[in-house]
Amino acid sequence: MSGKTSKLTRPGLPGWLILVGSVLLVLVCLFPFWWMVVSSVKTLRELYTVPPIWWPDTPTFQNYSNVLFQSNIPRYFLNSVIVSAGSTGLALILAIFASYGFARFKFKGKPLLQSLVLVAQLLPTAAIIVPLFITLRFLGLVNTYWGLILVYMIITLPLSVWMLTSYFKNIPVELEEAAIIDGASRLECLFRITLPLSLPGIASVMVYAFVTTWNEFIFALCFATDSSVKTLPIGLAEFSTEFNTDWGAVMAASVVMTLPIAILFLSMQRLFVGGLTAGATKG
Amino acid sequence: MQKQSTGYLFILPALMVLGMLIAYPVAYTGLLSVTDNAGNFVGLENFRRVLAARATPIAFWNTLWWVLGSIIFQVLFGVMAAILLNQNFKGRAIVRSVTLVPWVVPGIVAATTWAWMLHTEFGIINYMLTAPGLIDKPIGWLTNGNTVMPVMIAINIWKMFPFVAIMVLAGLQSIPNDLYEAARIDGASFWEEVWYVMLPQVRSVIVAITLLLVIWALNHITIIYAITRGGPANKTLITPIQIFRTAFDGMQFGQAAALSVMFFGVAIVIVFIYIRTLASNPEEAQ
Repeated sequence: MSGKTSKLTRPGLPGWLILVGSVLLVLVCLFPFWWMVVSSVKTLRELYTVPPIWWPDTPTFQNYSNVLFQSNIPRYFLNSVIVSAGSTGLALILAIFASYGFARFKFKGKPLLQSLVLVAQLLPTAAIIVPLFITLRFLGLVNTYWGLILVYMIITLPLSVWMLTSYFKNIPVELEEAAIIDGASRLECLFRITLPLSLPGIASVMVYAFVTTWNEFIFALCFATDSSVKTLPIGLAEFSTEFNTDWGAVMAASVVMTLPIAILFLSMQRLFVGGLTAGATKG
Repeated sequence: MQKQSTGYLFILPALMVLGMLIAYPVAYTGLLSVTDNAGNFVGLENFRRVLAARATPIAFWNTLWWVLGSIIFQVLFGVMAAILLNQNFKGRAIVRSVTLVPWVVPGIVAATTWAWMLHTEFGIINYMLTAPGLIDKPIGWLTNGNTVMPVMIAINIWKMFPFVAIMVLAGLQSIPNDLYEAARIDGASFWEEVWYVMLPQVRSVIVAITLLLVIWALNHITIIYAITRGGPANKTLITPIQIFRTAFDGMQFGQAAALSVMFFGVAIVIVFIYIRTLASNPEEAQ
């Protein structure tokens, strides 16, 4: 935006409209979270009063201690970390090679294969959930970490390949050509030149894949029915589907689940948004 | 410039995993759809049964309503937010970050939080509406058959409009400055600039996002499933949830597969339109 030098001032929204719009936008986006936090520090009696209490006189951390010490939530948290990290890591390794292949080589059927990867990313999960379940049951992988990690690669792998390919393409090929003349192999090119140069891209792919699997609900619901492998979203759903929902605990568990994502997102926001608009869904 | 075979070697491992995880289940779905639970070939019996089920047309119309209601407002609010965030004002960076929050947060957290806010007796929303007299008595948002679907759609809009906003914003910021300058020389007002410069320039972005939103609306069933599981009285039953319930509650894998095949058929058409649209914008699709 270079409005300073030009005599013609760029027309814009009137100031009051910007103010009203921004306030409205912030309220709509944040109010549910504010209410979630407020509810999580209320006692049972404070939760169930009309009119609602906007901020409790003495915030209690009883709900948090219930969630952290008397429920399965810490275990589910650990399960979520293992599954998300596992499927993100595995997908990334495969995606680095595949993306390099797509970005640097010409071969027959490349456009077709690339569109297949995109189709895989967009495939409705509901359409394949039944055979996946039967297959995993046959392989004895239902209710195991490996089962969930594998299934989550359906989500993370196409996404990582798609995003990384566009990153690799943006790295000048001349650097590698010079190295090849000096006798470097293709793999050396990838690991010594292309990969170090695309660290921001890798980071955004990792964040995006991790967040997506961390938030995933439907696959986990089908393939993790035992509390030893259940992930956080399932744990949270359990809290609220019981006959008598303890809303204070549900809200505290929601905060616990949102916090890592919020921290990860806020600390890497530039990468996250940049990577997304550049690669994930091009357009 | 390179040997073809090396390229294949690089992509082979990923393709094998994808083939195992996706191509095989898709083919298996086709097989399941024409067999019964014992594995005997039954022809189109599963399709006939599933089409005759009372829930199927209900789920079809609910799905249509869910997808259309969601995307129209997601795009509308998303574009409005993008135009706002494209203005220069103090604190824009903060407002932009905050706008993304609903999108980043886990779907299940959005579901539980909204379910609590919409609680009939103690929910904040009923209080906000009854206190100033907008409604006479609390509404059972999630139990009333007439309000439950609009409420689900509203939550979905809240969850996804930030994505539209950020993508359209990226499009708006890549509009060359001389287009604005030309408009300014012609004395265009702000709204004329929106209508004649901004919107035409991001039209292809909006088309691509809209198709993506359709696919996602069919894909992301967390909000509905976590809050209502399709109830009350099938009022929020959409096809993906019907597949899920047929398979895992009813244990009718064959019928669930038959439904999956039909659902897959529709979804794949939309996916291909999306890819064609991307491909027709060469500078964006690469």
